[in-house]
Amino acid sequence: MSKLYPAKPPLIKIEGVTKEYRPRQGFFSRDHNKVLALNHIDLSIEKGEIFGLVGQSGSGKTTTGRLLVKLEEPTSGSILLKGMPINELKGNTLRDYRSKVQMIFQDPYQSLNPYLSIAETILEPLEVHHIGDEITRREKVVDTLDTVGLSPGLDFYDRYPHQLSGGQRQRVAIARAIVLNPEFIVADEPTSMLDATIAIQLFKLLTRIRETHDMTFLFITHNLAAANYLCDRIAVIHEGHIVEVNTAEKIINNPEHPYTRKLIQVQPSFAFDRKSCL
Amino acid sequence: MALLSVQNLIIGYQSQNGLLRAVDNISFELEKGRPLGFVGESGCGKTTIGMTLMGLLPSNARILGGSIGFGNKDLTKLNEDQWRNIRGKEIAMIFQAAMNALNPVYRVDEQVIEAIVTHRPDISATDLDKRLKELFDLVEIPQNRMKDFPHEYSGGMKQRVIIAMALACNPQLIIADEPTTALDVIVQDQILKEIKIVQQKMNTGMIFISHDIAVVASVCKDICVMYGGQIVEKGTREEVFGSPRHPYTKTLLGSYLSLDNKGEIIVPDMREAADLKLENGYCRFAVNCKICSRACKSRKPDWIEISSTHKAFCCEESVVRNANE
Repeated sequence: MSKLYPAKPPLIKIEGVTKEYRPRQGFFSRDHNKVLALNHIDLSIEKGEIFGLVGQSGSGKTTTGRLLVKLEEPTSGSILLKGMPINELKGNTLRDYRSKVQMIFQDPYQSLNPYLSIAETILEPLEVHHIGDEITRREKVVDTLDTVGLSPGLDFYDRYPHQLSGGQRQRVAIARAIVLNPEFIVADEPTSMLDATIAIQLFKLLTRIRETHDMTFLFITHNLAAANYLCDRIAVIHEGHIVEVNTAEKIINNPEHPYTRKLIQVQPSFAFDRKSCL
Repeated sequence: MALLSVQNLIIGYQSQNGLLRAVDNISFELEKGRPLGFVGESGCGKTTIGMTLMGLLPSNARILGGSIGFGNKDLTKLNEDQWRNIRGKEIAMIFQAAMNALNPVYRVDEQVIEAIVTHRPDISATDLDKRLKELFDLVEIPQNRMKDFPHEYSGGMKQRVIIAMALACNPQLIIADEPTTALDVIVQDQILKEIKIVQQKMNTGMIFISHDIAVVASVCKDICVMYGGQIVEKGTREEVFGSPRHPYTKTLLGSYLSLDNKGEIIVPDMREAADLKLENGYCRFAVNCKICSRACKSRKPDWIEISSTHKAFCCEESVVRNANE
């Protein structure tokens, strides 16, 4: 492909990826027990975009995210980062990949270690990847805390997760993800546990980080309105199949697939005038 | 007469940091057939209100003042034995976590039977069977699934069973506390329709608690917006969402993401959580309020009447009166 199109390959390319889950194997197990979480999906994510993956529970959207950060391996198919397959990465190249691709998890009450202070949480990736010395690492942590809106960073440095609100915890999770300057971040429902007024502030933060840090995001959500607000392009996933990929504007205004139409139709909505809220 | 009449209710939690007033001087009335919605964010006291109306407050909570008139009783003065006659029979609750609200070791029908038999111990076997089938029909679960275990049900079906259990004794008042929060959008749509149909068929009173304004708007005719344990604005759905007056209601609405409302989305600057220790009656939104003046922190807000049903709780009367400014 890259020979036909000499232009740069997309940042992330997913080619024919299938993921099966099998229940625990026993002597009498049958193949029909297996669950096909992803069924030959193809996606490509361009550098610098916020790409939305929308679907209902059990559609395979979280599995896709986990495959991208190599928390799971695909049953078949391949995933490429800038044209390079990630399936075979080992040793140093795998370590390198892990520093380039980070994840923000759904539940900030569970994704932060309660025994680690905020500083230790964000220092850990720097230590694992041997970046900087002790002093530059500490500076980097304070800078990152400021970037994610926990400022002044020094105020939060020695606090523990239980002293923070849900929104602040998720900001710490974002800080942990961006501290290595990754190229690609998978955000798996980062705001579904948070209040609407907090969620919208985090969306603003993610958009700003995209600009200032030149990062690419995969935003996984069940909320089409949130995807519409945040994303450049949206893929709709249903029972392990990508049913539609298009720009956010086209997905919302001209959905082609009946499932997309259904998803739009069931979004709770009511008309009100935004001008009355100013 | 109103089905439920809450006057100046104050509920406090004893915590390590002293007394927190989780519900601060709340008054509202509920009519049959006019579902009342409580909308607000985590920690605003909406679930505490629901739990108070069920007599299920945790042991560190105290009712510090006010009254809850229900029929000819004051619910704040009941003891546990008296509560047992009301809970489930006259006031029932649809809980949030459908996944955990059912007992995994009993069959579904046994759990619904328990709800009926507890309050009607002398019911005959044929009546019981008839009632059971009625309830399952009402929530549209096929009768051949009645004897399943909860793990054989999907999330939406579990929530339907919870609704059936709440309806088992024909309660006068149903409290639905975030009934669709754990469900995905497609199932949420079905359950909301279900709740609306059931409420209209049985003509019960309903209190509907949610953080999602669109969900509340789709079920309720009257709305109370809560912040930090206080009701900040109340009125009919059209009044509150059509012409919001309180700065917090505006923030909540303006930052709501939806597909069909064009126009700029307001990114609120909400940095501090509401101070629940604040003395009785002061405005708790002042710390995050755009229009807050210094005076707001030193005086108590008043209820400003916009119409006979629409009221907002604010110090800045001129701002509240002039919408769209």
